[in-house]
Amino acid sequence: MTAPEFALRTDGVGKRYRKGWALRDCTLDLPAGGVIALVGPNGAGKTTLLRLVVGLLAPSTGTVEVLGHDVTVSTPQTLARVGFLAQDHPLYKRFTVAEMLRFGRACNLRFDQGLAERRLAKLGIPLDRRAGTLSGGQQAQVALALALAKRPDLLVLDEPVASLDPLARHEFLQVLMGAVAEGGVTVLFSSHVVHELERVCDHLIVLNDGRVTLTGDIDTLLAEHRLLVGPRTAADLGRAGTVVEAVHSDRHTTLLVRDGGLPAAPGWQARPVALEDLVLAYLRRPSEPSAAVTSGVAE
Amino acid sequence: MTWLIWRQHRTEVCVLGLLVGLFGIALLVLGTQAQDLFPGGPARCAGEAGLDEGCVASFRRLDEEYGYVENLLAAFYLVPVLVGAFLGAPLLARELEDGTWQLAWTQAVPRMRWLAAKLAALAGVTVTLTGMFTAVLTWFRQPFDAWEGRFQYDAFDLEGLVPVAYALFAFGAATAAGAILRRSLPAFGVAFGAFLAARMSVGLLARPAYATPLTTMEPVGAGGAKDGVGADWTIEHGYADATGRRLSSAEYYELEDAADRAGANLNQFLHARGVQEFGVYHPADRFWTFQLIEASLFVAVAAVLVGVVVWRVRRRMI
Repeated sequence: MTAPEFALRTDGVGKRYRKGWALRDCTLDLPAGGVIALVGPNGAGKTTLLRLVVGLLAPSTGTVEVLGHDVTVSTPQTLARVGFLAQDHPLYKRFTVAEMLRFGRACNLRFDQGLAERRLAKLGIPLDRRAGTLSGGQQAQVALALALAKRPDLLVLDEPVASLDPLARHEFLQVLMGAVAEGGVTVLFSSHVVHELERVCDHLIVLNDGRVTLTGDIDTLLAEHRLLVGPRTAADLGRAGTVVEAVHSDRHTTLLVRDGGLPAAPGWQARPVALEDLVLAYLRRPSEPSAAVTSGVAE
Repeated sequence: MTWLIWRQHRTEVCVLGLLVGLFGIALLVLGTQAQDLFPGGPARCAGEAGLDEGCVASFRRLDEEYGYVENLLAAFYLVPVLVGAFLGAPLLARELEDGTWQLAWTQAVPRMRWLAAKLAALAGVTVTLTGMFTAVLTWFRQPFDAWEGRFQYDAFDLEGLVPVAYALFAFGAATAAGAILRRSLPAFGVAFGAFLAARMSVGLLARPAYATPLTTMEPVGAGGAKDGVGADWTIEHGYADATGRRLSSAEYYELEDAADRAGANLNQFLHARGVQEFGVYHPADRFWTFQLIEASLFVAVAAVLVGVVVWRVRRRMI
């Protein structure tokens, strides 16, 4: 039996720009298969991390390994296995859609032209229109069709739906999830929108202020965390396991805890936590070194 | 890749090709008419032979009828620069402006191969277009060169190897500026400015020093000053006393005043005092040596600039 392939492994990855560190101490192990969401506020370093993953940038520290290859040593073979859809889905604006497909064919080892044409035909996007004259949603679809026609093993998308209206967003995600369902491809995408993640994602990375604050399998993360609600108190927080966040209202205290049991004190109740609340709690936490909490990957 | 490069840059290539083509046709027409003024061809009138009666008449008509074209063309040393900068500026800057670098470098063509193909193709177009431009211009200037030599700024900068080297310099500068500034238009401007600065200092300071100039020194003749027209490149000219010490302009004007006061003919006055006339010059046959030196200089800088681009792309600093 072969060891389970990792889609992405990073070890102590940091990236420094002239202004300072955009990403620090990023260590990730993500299994192949499924959908991985990278969540964080604007400026958290999501784009930097994704550009490192697809080899557009070189890390200042650490190593990035994608599908078993160091990404800074790119060959046609390794490049062919990774598809990338950059933020704002850039296309050559003066190319027609057909020319964009020809570009894909000319620059790739394998390129499923038929697949791309079928997808675009289904969406009613004419091949003879210039890319620049298409709507934002259509441009995103063309970019996605290009990336999927590479038949990549890892598809990386940077804020793929951020600039789309709700209808285009829905259509885009539908096409993307359809492609995932057809099998074979691991999807890593970034988003600053937290809701709806639960429905489409298997794996979660929370990035805040250049550091990974939470990563793991979503089901495992949800099982590990719970909300404890009880009478208002400022003490005793240590007893309830790792307290991620404590919120005090007039009469109640709500604790988000990890691996914690119910406090012995009377009047406490345990509740499951919603993914959105979990992510928001981790985003609100001040980021500090070694705050990263890992879970779910180890077998 | 070939198709992609053509598709991305065909507008610039076609516009420049059309302009160079139109320019070439215009010059061929004018040049044929101008060369018709010289029954035995303009080369026959070069040098000492140019002093015979027929040639002098031809040169006079050339100056009267086509002198304006020559003056107009003096500014055309900037055309190769425009060609190079126009092709180099968008090479990286347009991809960076539009975000398409992220598209281009995540296909299965490694970025260094992509860059090498683009640089080779566009530098090739730059050399081809400016080479054609220079060939036509050099041909057109034949009669003028027969008369004035090829060392004046309006000949040296427009003929031979130098214009192509200028174009490659501008191409390298525009590409490097585009990689750093990430904008096509500012990159174009920077390349143009860098060329003007480089060309100015090279033309005024470096070029006269490519080789040690020769000096002539001869007594002022009683009859009059020697006619200075020739194909040599005179870079300094003046008067010296009998011992060969060069006179400052103040000393020369004193002599002139003294001649005036004495009511004597200036030349005879100078001749009587043993004053000598000197010229510092580069002989005309140094043309190709100088062309080679200046071209190497600009091509070397272009190579360094392209090296900067390669290094930045390789290090994934873009």
